[in-house]
Amino acid sequence: MQPKTRPIQRFAEAVSKCSAEAAVYGKCVVADYNAVHKDKCAKEFMRLKDCYLAAAKGSK
Amino acid sequence: MRLNVARAVCRPQTCLQRPLAPPLLRTASAAARRSYAFQAAGSPVFDVFNRKTKWLQRERAAAHVEQSRQADYLKDEVAARVCERLLDIKRHFPRVLDFGANSCNVARALAADNPDPDPTMPVSPPLAAKISELVAADSSETALYRDADLPFNENGQMRVSRHVLGDAESLPYEPALFDMVLSSMSLHWVNDLPGVLAQINRVLRPDCPFIGAMLGGDTLFELRTALQLADTERRGGMSPHVSPLADTRDVGGLLQRAGFKMLTVDVEDIIVDYPDSFALMQDLQAMGESNAILGREMGALSRDVLLAADAIYRELHGNDDGTVPATFRIIHMIGWQESADQAKPLPRGSGQINLKDYLENK
Repeated sequence: MQPKTRPIQRFAEAVSKCSAEAAVYGKCVVADYNAVHKDKCAKEFMRLKDCYLAAAKGSK
Repeated sequence: MRLNVARAVCRPQTCLQRPLAPPLLRTASAAARRSYAFQAAGSPVFDVFNRKTKWLQRERAAAHVEQSRQADYLKDEVAARVCERLLDIKRHFPRVLDFGANSCNVARALAADNPDPDPTMPVSPPLAAKISELVAADSSETALYRDADLPFNENGQMRVSRHVLGDAESLPYEPALFDMVLSSMSLHWVNDLPGVLAQINRVLRPDCPFIGAMLGGDTLFELRTALQLADTERRGGMSPHVSPLADTRDVGGLLQRAGFKMLTVDVEDIIVDYPDSFALMQDLQAMGESNAILGREMGALSRDVLLAADAIYRELHGNDDGTVPATFRIIHMIGWQESADQAKPLPRGSGQINLKDYLENK
């Protein structure tokens, strides 16, 4: 049997609290999507991830 | 000295002719004995998908009965659209094969009341009335028997029998056994599509149709591009996450190669909106449609990539209301087994009426 809330659902819920940071990161990648390389938007991503980590901590 | 001059006068071609003549003759005689390399009918199959993985994914998905029923919306919709095509064939089919039956979605669609959605038409009986026996064949036993107790199995007209296939890509039936073959949403996992289509052609009686539908073309291009960008930005490289799929153009050629006549190929896009990309991935998993490409990266996607992919998906493809769309491109195909009394195209240049005049005077 599957647990009541799967990890992916908790993950999705935490991510949904960071839509502002996600939009900034998304815009950064999509702005020039033919020339994406590793860590092109590392700064924006770290901000998104910090937000996600805080949200995930809060929901537990 | 004189000999040297004579050699210089001799032109290269004439000089070469004599020494070359005997070997030339020899190759000619050798060629008569040599057996040529040839391409057999079973040409090499390039495996794309891991069959074992796919089988496991489908077994697992079907084992969670409720979730898998909830995620059946796409398969039910496509099955209904496949069965709708039967309305145009005024014929009774004693024995029909449903190849790659999943959880018998086609049988359910056939048993549905009033299959014709046109409100101007009178209420029609279920399509099951046209069929005496339906053989539902699939390699995943759990999926096949998931809904074996539901009422659509006993509809009074059509007998549904289930057959678990040992191998998802071979049809263990005698030639000319079936009066129709249906296939809905399973051919896109077949490695050897030309071979399977040829086998389907073989099990059909003359002048009997094959009606199929599978995912193809730009299916899930949103997910594909979002994951590619996220992989590239986060990890500096990418791994395949969405299957390579047949294109609409290829399907006509494949059907023709398998020996089908009077082909019809058409495309429908079904766009489904999801709250986020994770809901889409969960549903794909519950459908048993997870990634099974050979040479994919093992293990789950890392959270970093998931996080990045969701942000990119929203930015690149997202709707204004905050949902994300996923495109499923369904390729429908109809082919008929060859028969002598079938309508055939007239020879070239045999037309008597100028189409231009006809259309202009209309």
